[in-house]
Amino acid sequence: MFKKLIDNSTAKSPWIYHINAGSCNGCDIELVAVLTPRYDAERFGFKLAGTPRHADIVVVSGPVTSQSKERLIRTLEQVPEPRVIVSLGSCPRSCNVFKGSYSVEGPLDKFCHVDISVAGCAPKPEAIVLGLAQAAQLLKQKREEAAQK
Amino acid sequence: MDILMKALYLLIFPGLLYCSVAGLLLAGIDRKVVARMQKRIGPPLLQPAYDFFKLLGKETIVPAAAARRTFLAAPVIGLVSLVVTAVLVPVFGFSAFGGVADVVVILYLLTIPAVAIIMGGAASGSPYAGVGISREMVTMMAYELPLVIVLLAVGKAAGDGGVTFSLSKIVEYQQANGPLITHWTMWPAALAMLLVIPAEIGSHPFDVAEAETEICEGALVEYSGAPLALFKLSSAIKLYIMTALFSCLFLSGWGTGIVAVDALILVAVCAVIMLICVSLVRAVCARLKVEILFRFYWRVVAVLAAISLILAWLVG
Repeated sequence: MFKKLIDNSTAKSPWIYHINAGSCNGCDIELVAVLTPRYDAERFGFKLAGTPRHADIVVVSGPVTSQSKERLIRTLEQVPEPRVIVSLGSCPRSCNVFKGSYSVEGPLDKFCHVDISVAGCAPKPEAIVLGLAQAAQLLKQKREEAAQK
Repeated sequence: MDILMKALYLLIFPGLLYCSVAGLLLAGIDRKVVARMQKRIGPPLLQPAYDFFKLLGKETIVPAAAARRTFLAAPVIGLVSLVVTAVLVPVFGFSAFGGVADVVVILYLLTIPAVAIIMGGAASGSPYAGVGISREMVTMMAYELPLVIVLLAVGKAAGDGGVTFSLSKIVEYQQANGPLITHWTMWPAALAMLLVIPAEIGSHPFDVAEAETEICEGALVEYSGAPLALFKLSSAIKLYIMTALFSCLFLSGWGTGIVAVDALILVAVCAVIMLICVSLVRAVCARLKVEILFRFYWRVVAVLAAISLILAWLVG
């Protein structure tokens, strides 16, 4: 019973940590818009955490520049299991218009497994909310899989 | 039998189970009401409980630079001292452990959770935690002085000539003479106590120690999993204890006499007090700087409490 309580709570209280890996700030603004009164992601229990140690969902935006690569990998390692990595916008998917630049080392899936990918330049807040809601369900699934092993 | 009763008090009724449920419920009401004030739908009422159980299921990481034992012991120490405090605070007429000087004990026990946060933060070896604990210490000094003066003023007003340090005596006095909030001499002290509550629980305008936008949640920066869950539970219980202490000091002296009903009424009273002094202030204000917070508590809140103390001596 206690285990089931924890499993159900995992999907209901996902805390987000946001990493900017060289983004143009467009996706970051849209992510903040998701938390404002108009879209109000807090009604699903989402909360912006101040540190990667408190996070369940890591949202990465930007094409991963050479400067941010090392910091990105180090930050992702600090997030406790179970965790879900969400890529936000076109940049972490394909490097977008920055592809081929000398200072861009992306896309993101070279460095870590990406669970959910929200496309768009910049993605609509509705799409971000949908992606995050899927990520929350995935979080519960990951916890149950880890318990079976 | 006696030991069994004491274990029951500690673990179930005024202790762990009751104050956790009440605290998490109050925290849920607070989040919902603040969301409604900002024209949002807001999280479900049980959101703090979901957060607590989710954190229990997460991996616990102890950083390499941390002092392992202190790092893991700090949240437990904070929680235990809060549960003991919850047992000492009377539920209207009912008090589990009545003592001669329980006000002094509560005063000391209430500082331990803050000290536990300082201990845990210092043991985590993070520079953000270093900034957080220095701010936590300043906040603690800022609100302790007005809190002590408020308790002295109430003790004098309810003491029949002397000063009483017993909460059950304060409740008895209010049973005989009506709640202390009806005495005009106690109004400044009640206002001061209302301003002490948000600082004690570290809610928004006074959360300099846990400012997540500036210093990444301060002393809690390296915590994850179950220890973080205990810290979150502690802050929810603190919300219950401080509002219950306010209702015991200023609004007590009535109640139905049936303990279960009284406990429910107390949670409702706590929710009203919390809406006035925590939720409303949190929805309206921006975070203060630490030096402004310190100045505000010593120059305004402490003076308000001192006015009450002087009036209680003069008027009697």
